[in-house]
Amino acid sequence: MSGEFRTIRELGADIRAGRLSPLLLAEACMKRLETVGRALNAVVTVTRERALEQARRAERELAAGHDRGPLHGIPYGAKDLLATSGGIPTTWGAAPFRDRCFDEDATVIQRLEDAGAVLVAKLAMVEFAGGMGYRQPNASFTGPGISPWAADAWSGGSSSGSGSAVGAGLVPFAIGSETWGSILGPATYCGATGLRPTYGRVSRHGAMALCWTLDKLGPLALTADDCGLVLEAIAGADPRDATAAARAYRYERPSADARFRFAVVRGTVDASEPAVRDGLRAALERLREVGTIEEITLPDRPYEAMARIILWAEGASAFDRLIEGGVIDGLTAPEDRVTPYARDAILAKDYLRALRLRGVVAREIDSVLSQFDAIVGPSRGTAGPRLGAEFRSAIRGSFPDVLGAIGNAAGLPAIGVPCGFAPDGLPIGMQFLGRAWDENTVLAAAYAWQARTDFHRQWPV
Amino acid sequence: MTEEADILFALIRARYAARLDAGQLEELRKAVEGIVRDVATLRAATIPEDAEPGQPFTPFRAVP
Repeated sequence: MSGEFRTIRELGADIRAGRLSPLLLAEACMKRLETVGRALNAVVTVTRERALEQARRAERELAAGHDRGPLHGIPYGAKDLLATSGGIPTTWGAAPFRDRCFDEDATVIQRLEDAGAVLVAKLAMVEFAGGMGYRQPNASFTGPGISPWAADAWSGGSSSGSGSAVGAGLVPFAIGSETWGSILGPATYCGATGLRPTYGRVSRHGAMALCWTLDKLGPLALTADDCGLVLEAIAGADPRDATAAARAYRYERPSADARFRFAVVRGTVDASEPAVRDGLRAALERLREVGTIEEITLPDRPYEAMARIILWAEGASAFDRLIEGGVIDGLTAPEDRVTPYARDAILAKDYLRALRLRGVVAREIDSVLSQFDAIVGPSRGTAGPRLGAEFRSAIRGSFPDVLGAIGNAAGLPAIGVPCGFAPDGLPIGMQFLGRAWDENTVLAAAYAWQARTDFHRQWPV
Repeated sequence: MTEEADILFALIRARYAARLDAGQLEELRKAVEGIVRDVATLRAATIPEDAEPGQPFTPFRAVP
């Protein structure tokens, strides 16, 4: 009756065939979340009461022939920056908010409920989604997120628990958020598949705001196919989020035989750590089975500085009350209690300059992408940072991430997929970056990749 | 430390020094230097005069 490492489609088929009970599936997930999940520092709250109620309802409805679709009866976890009603705390990963509750559900939580999914846990995250500038893994009141692949390796952030819970087979999917790297990073380090949708594809209502023009919500799952199923359930306009676009989204299950035109930005693979670089080169050779790969050069722009200034300026305003009011003194990471004050150094004119440049970059990159199906590159240039040590990050300017800066600043969709292993056994990842609103294209590319490889079917022991 | 970083750090020190110790102030100084470096890179980039910031502001009017 276990749902370990089984995809949404596989679980759904078993549920509909009467071989699997949503109630027992939810129970099994919660049991592992309480044991393995706690050991990985991946869990804030196991939402037992709500899960059992939703699972029982799913059983009743499916037995009565009322099928809400592919997520009906499927357990999931939500990053703990998504508001949940019913006395379930929403902590934002921050000790000062460990008991804070909201009266309503975030739109994403509500949409998943409407789709019949079963919320089994609120998952751990870096405090304030990393918006205070953390530089080492111990930056959450639940402890540093641990990768299911090694007890001394970081799960990545800021969607730490979402990555660990999926990578360890504790839930079939989880919801994470990305401002810059917070879905693709944990997906990479935990060996999961993570989809960052186009900015505005998914309502942010009820989600903690870090950067109003950069924040996106998206799924982490075992496969690209599952990410598509989840995206369809959570996408769409929302009167409570003016940036949620009215564009309809329907996931189309791709063909494994589709062919693609890929681009690789010169220098992005070589800029990765040697362990990642070598694995990526091998993956790119393999990727030629599904398409052509052309090396390209992008216009010379300060992509990372642009993204950083937008992130820090908006974050300073979003958390102004917490910073000025001294709430940050109660945070876990010592650096998170200090560096936010530095953002007062960003002048309004420079923030606006970054926003103006972003518009230019968005047009330039769309022109490039119009000639390809996707840009391919590392989903993370580093492999498995160790607990107890500082990690390198583009957000702090200590490691390059041109694709992450462009993709997030321009609001473009990307999917990160496992593509190999570093010599120390930790997973590495590759991303497909697409045009705005073209999630189905990057999903199709990832689907074709996963139809030919088994990196996403190798589990940690 | 550039003159601009010096001036901006002085502003931040004036606002927040009472909350911070010497080590934290030094960390803050480095963070300000990083911001000033990023901003200098941004200012050096050519942007068309007609490039707008693309903020999604819309006038509000309650119904009716």
